[in-house]
Amino acid sequence: MFDITLATWQILVIKVLVILTVVPVGALVGGYAEHKVMAHLQHRLGPMYPGGWHGWATTLADGIKFLLKEDIIPAAADRKVFSFAPAAIMVPIIMIYLVIPIDRNLVIEDLDVGLFYLLAIGSLSTIGLLMAGWSSANKYALIGALRSAAQLIAYELPIVLAAAVVAMLAGSLSLIDIVEAQNFPFALWPPGIGFVAFLLFTVGAVAEMTRVPFDMPVAESEIITGPFTEYSGMRYIFSHMFAEMGHMVAFGGIAATLFLGGYKPIIPLRILEYIPGVFWFFGKTMFMIFLFLWIRPTFPRVREDQLQKFAWKFLIPVGLVLILATGAWVLYV
Amino acid sequence: MALDQRRLEKARKPGFGLGLLKGMGVTLKHLFKHNTVIQYPDEKQDLSPRTRGVIALKEENCTVCMLCARECPDWCIYIDSHKEQLPPKRQGGRPRKRNVLDRFAIDYALCMYCGICVEVCPYDALFWSREFEYAEYDIRELTHEKERLSDWMESVLPPPPLEIGAEYPGSPTRAPETPPAGAAARGTAASTPAADDAGGTEEQPGAPVAPLGGGGRTPDAGAAKPPMPDVGPVPGEQAAATPGRDGATGREETSAGEEAPRGQAPGGDGTTEAPAGAPPGATATPPDATATPPDATATRPGDDDPPPESTGEARADVKPPDATATPPDAAATPPDATATPPGDDDPPPESTGEARADVAPTMTSPEGGGPAPEEIASLRETPGPNVEVPHETPQPTALTPTEDPDEVYAQVLKEQQAKGSSPQVAEARAKVARVKAERGIARGPAPSPGEEEGG
Repeated sequence: MFDITLATWQILVIKVLVILTVVPVGALVGGYAEHKVMAHLQHRLGPMYPGGWHGWATTLADGIKFLLKEDIIPAAADRKVFSFAPAAIMVPIIMIYLVIPIDRNLVIEDLDVGLFYLLAIGSLSTIGLLMAGWSSANKYALIGALRSAAQLIAYELPIVLAAAVVAMLAGSLSLIDIVEAQNFPFALWPPGIGFVAFLLFTVGAVAEMTRVPFDMPVAESEIITGPFTEYSGMRYIFSHMFAEMGHMVAFGGIAATLFLGGYKPIIPLRILEYIPGVFWFFGKTMFMIFLFLWIRPTFPRVREDQLQKFAWKFLIPVGLVLILATGAWVLYV
Repeated sequence: MALDQRRLEKARKPGFGLGLLKGMGVTLKHLFKHNTVIQYPDEKQDLSPRTRGVIALKEENCTVCMLCARECPDWCIYIDSHKEQLPPKRQGGRPRKRNVLDRFAIDYALCMYCGICVEVCPYDALFWSREFEYAEYDIRELTHEKERLSDWMESVLPPPPLEIGAEYPGSPTRAPETPPAGAAARGTAASTPAADDAGGTEEQPGAPVAPLGGGGRTPDAGAAKPPMPDVGPVPGEQAAATPGRDGATGREETSAGEEAPRGQAPGGDGTTEAPAGAPPGATATPPDATATPPDATATRPGDDDPPPESTGEARADVKPPDATATPPDAAATPPDATATPPGDDDPPPESTGEARADVAPTMTSPEGGGPAPEEIASLRETPGPNVEVPHETPQPTALTPTEDPDEVYAQVLKEQQAKGSSPQVAEARAKVARVKAERGIARGPAPSPGEEEGG
């Protein structure tokens, strides 16, 4: 179209800017969606005032408010680690956005090992949580950090196993290849296997994000915010709000890509292909986000031991069986 | 039981994840429901009339009895008053005192809106209002003084309407027009005049009452109506009583009825027990009342039976004028005399002795609404004693042992039913009356000492 050739570094800059724009905006919108959707699910209205029309500027106002807050670091805290922990949590989440394809040609960087990269980077946030909890010099923050570390490790496995199923079915780790391999979304085909894998992935994702019902680490009513108890102002937003919302959108995108067909129409009908892939992708992502939001006000919190039991004694064995089944499917079907 | 257990089991069965999905269904349903949130400052809720908001003070009703301040669990009402002296009412009387309210403040920072002060106020000076938006920036401004509390009265809602058939305070329940017409129609000539005289202008209450206690009765009649009636009938009665008495020549009691023969009230009651019954609670002179009953009955037709001021009018005479022409109830035996009268039936409905507005029951057209306008008007015109207490001392309506228990039973039953008591209550009361008749127990409270003798 345009006859522009950009130098590599220019392209890089553009890509970085795109990510740095998309992620916070996504987190803002995700945060607003969480307020409003959760509220309506609970038969109430949610924020109505900020911004005038149904409170659309709620998260924006939140962000400004937190910027204006005092930055408190406990005296006994390990300052360097304390300051660095939010970054350790936030950066991996931003990096997830790197490989998610919005359309066939719209991906920041299509890595050949996209899926593997995703899973690896995704698990980096765990160390950030541990850092935050430990450096807070607060018993309860530490308890929260340990709980969250245990939880994230435990639920990493169902995610990995489900992703392995997808990789096996698609025959590649590149996310674009995975999407291309889905005429029917993997959640629907192979029958049974795909759906169970999808469920496994969703549950694992919810736990990874320490969202309800798996929000023991941040059990609000018990240990305030777990590892982030001592955080205030922008640090808090980065490590808690941004992380959670960004994570939610990211995982929504990943689930959409892996299991719902990414930027392809949900059913391979000719007529549906006239709708641009971007819409399909965002539609599916939003559906996933809605699913995450829907689960939140519906279920009570799972106890830590129930949480662990569920992961180790149920989800992982199911995942392993699933891999067996997928292997059989791929070989013989 | 088995069904419940089965249902319980089914509910507990782990339909794998089905419970979770059902939960999600519930939340989803709410997502699409129309939201019922009332967004407060822009939208206000329609509060029920009994909402407890701020408490308003009607100064003119307050007599500074301090009950509210005492009963407030929080001690948040501050009252100050002083006594003033007023000149005596009559010459030579002692100077009257009046309590004047200086300060009445409610500290809403302390008030817990329990409403005990509103409940406890005997003079209806405190009212609930629905206002609740009076938050202040300074806590000291949360103490509302007298003026502010009076201002809140504007937001107090009018009281809810009474139920259908309820008696309005101070209104005798009696058939409005019947009496005059009826009186004329059936009334014994004697009665009529008596009746007329009785209340002067006022009819019934006076009429029936007149015979009763002459003066005393008035209160009963008056009982129906607020003080006024009492007043009215009294003088009227006195005047009327006599004539009425005369009129009821048929009665032996008639003469006794006169207020003059007060003493005879109880005595006369023997004969006049019917009448005695009639004047249920002639406050003034039970004996008179008893005496008068015959007269009363005589006059009865003329006046509509005094509204069954249950409070005690011993209005036996209340009997509906056209009620059984023949004195059906033997119970009315003493009122045999009454029988003579224009067929009033059961004269002393008050077997129970209370000045209950027997009239009402026996009344064919008892009105529950309130006194007829003309009654009230007439009542008001008559001057009365300064102090009319709308209560009637219960009229003794002793039954002579000769009273036929069954007749008593029937009579009381009829009265009760006409009055509208439930069947069980009517039966019970009738039975009690019968037993009392059997044992020769006087039905009704003992006559007040000095008012009647014996009885």
